[in-house]
Amino acid sequence: MGDLSQRFCTIAGKEILVDNEGFLWHVEDWTEEIADALALECGIERLTDAQWAVIRFLRNYFSYYGRAPMNRDLKAGLGISLLNLEALFPGGIRHGARRIAGLPNPKSCT
Amino acid sequence: MNKLIYLDNAATTFPKPASVMKKMIEIYSRIGVSPGRGSYDLAAEADELVAKTRRKVADFFGSPDPDRVIFTGNATDALNIALQGLLRPGDHAVSTRLEHNSVLRPLYHLHMKGIIEYDLVPFDGKGFVDPGDVIAAIRPNTKLVVVTHASNVLGTVQPVREIARLSAGYGIPLLVDAAQSAGVVPIDMQSWQIAGLAFTGHKSMLAPTGIGGLVLNREIEGIEPSRFGGTGVDSRSLVHTEAFPYRLEAGTLNLMSIIGLSESIEFLEQMGIESIHAKEMALLNKLRDGLSLLDGIELYCTENFPDHVGLLTANIRGMDPNDAGAILDGDFGIAVRVGLHCAPLVHESLGTSPYGSIRFSIGPFNTSDEIDHVLKAMAEIARYGNR
Repeated sequence: MGDLSQRFCTIAGKEILVDNEGFLWHVEDWTEEIADALALECGIERLTDAQWAVIRFLRNYFSYYGRAPMNRDLKAGLGISLLNLEALFPGGIRHGARRIAGLPNPKSCT
Repeated sequence: MNKLIYLDNAATTFPKPASVMKKMIEIYSRIGVSPGRGSYDLAAEADELVAKTRRKVADFFGSPDPDRVIFTGNATDALNIALQGLLRPGDHAVSTRLEHNSVLRPLYHLHMKGIIEYDLVPFDGKGFVDPGDVIAAIRPNTKLVVVTHASNVLGTVQPVREIARLSAGYGIPLLVDAAQSAGVVPIDMQSWQIAGLAFTGHKSMLAPTGIGGLVLNREIEGIEPSRFGGTGVDSRSLVHTEAFPYRLEAGTLNLMSIIGLSESIEFLEQMGIESIHAKEMALLNKLRDGLSLLDGIELYCTENFPDHVGLLTANIRGMDPNDAGAILDGDFGIAVRVGLHCAPLVHESLGTSPYGSIRFSIGPFNTSDEIDHVLKAMAEIARYGNR
């Protein structure tokens, strides 16, 4: 979130460029194996179907629009409240769902 | 509630008063030419409006000299002009840990260039700077004290009057960052002995974005310009005009927003800034009291509401404030500001770095029903956090 420092990190056996909070620097570096590895970092042993549905929605949206969904699009697209989305990932929306999906760290005022 | 509840008024007030917007568009549609640059009547009329607005701004802040009202893009712009124009190699400045990056970054830049040294005074557990600490930081080469009037994170109104009085005793001018206070806290530069004041139009002044100002008293005589160009006067000379306000203005002014500022000052005077402040504080009290009853909510420096503007900072224990902001927006239609609020040292001192907090900032058009809705939303989110 605003901290744009970069570092290389080994994720699922690959050298990946990430920011200081472990968000992928390049969206295209993401693979399902990387998602599994990032999920494990959040304490998720195995991603559930519901979690995969969120990850796929986020990736498809980003791929189509070139940006992450706005809050209203996220809620409408997933058909669940953001509070429920927060509960679905141990790291929450940003550090959980969004990071595991390989989307860039949002650049809000931090 | 279907309508967005906008509680990010400390970032920019929204909406602007309809009458201000209407008159601004009307007047700009009629006289939107380059003010003071042409020999035709319309240019003179536009120039007259700019001069009239300088007078209004000077009166609004208790400054006797409209020529020392310099129009800028915003408060950050004004602070940069002041800091870069006043501080010279070898100078020392005193400021505080409450400052916004609009002060911290110019000071740091000047320091890293080897031009100045500076010290930042801490704030206490209630969010206030002790004027004695400011004075204690003064050195023989201190040339400027710069202090925020109201913290953009905590809302605490700093004792700038006392700081100005004490620093004047040492012959050191006080520059006040009034970004959060202008329009809700009455300011009298002359009697308070404030040497310079930076303000922005688009926050509590209720003007559009793109207009702010630096108001100087006669003490600030030797300020150097940091930008140069056309002023509409002395065009033959390659030397930038020395006379105020042109000395610190270059290029065509933002006439549309100046008209907006002129109209918004009239609006504020009609409404009375004390009554706007009182209304905002009543809502803030309600919000603070409601939040303090909820389990899992942390509030920061909300004890001292008499010296406060209408904003407060909170966190939901165990939740990234960025997520809380998304949930408030997406699930409840409430717009707040999350993160570090461009004031990293405040959050460092509060222990809320690196993720910051949730800031609720009240504006003149918020209602009691909206605060009820916010409290219900926060209760629901906090219940989730407590699971």
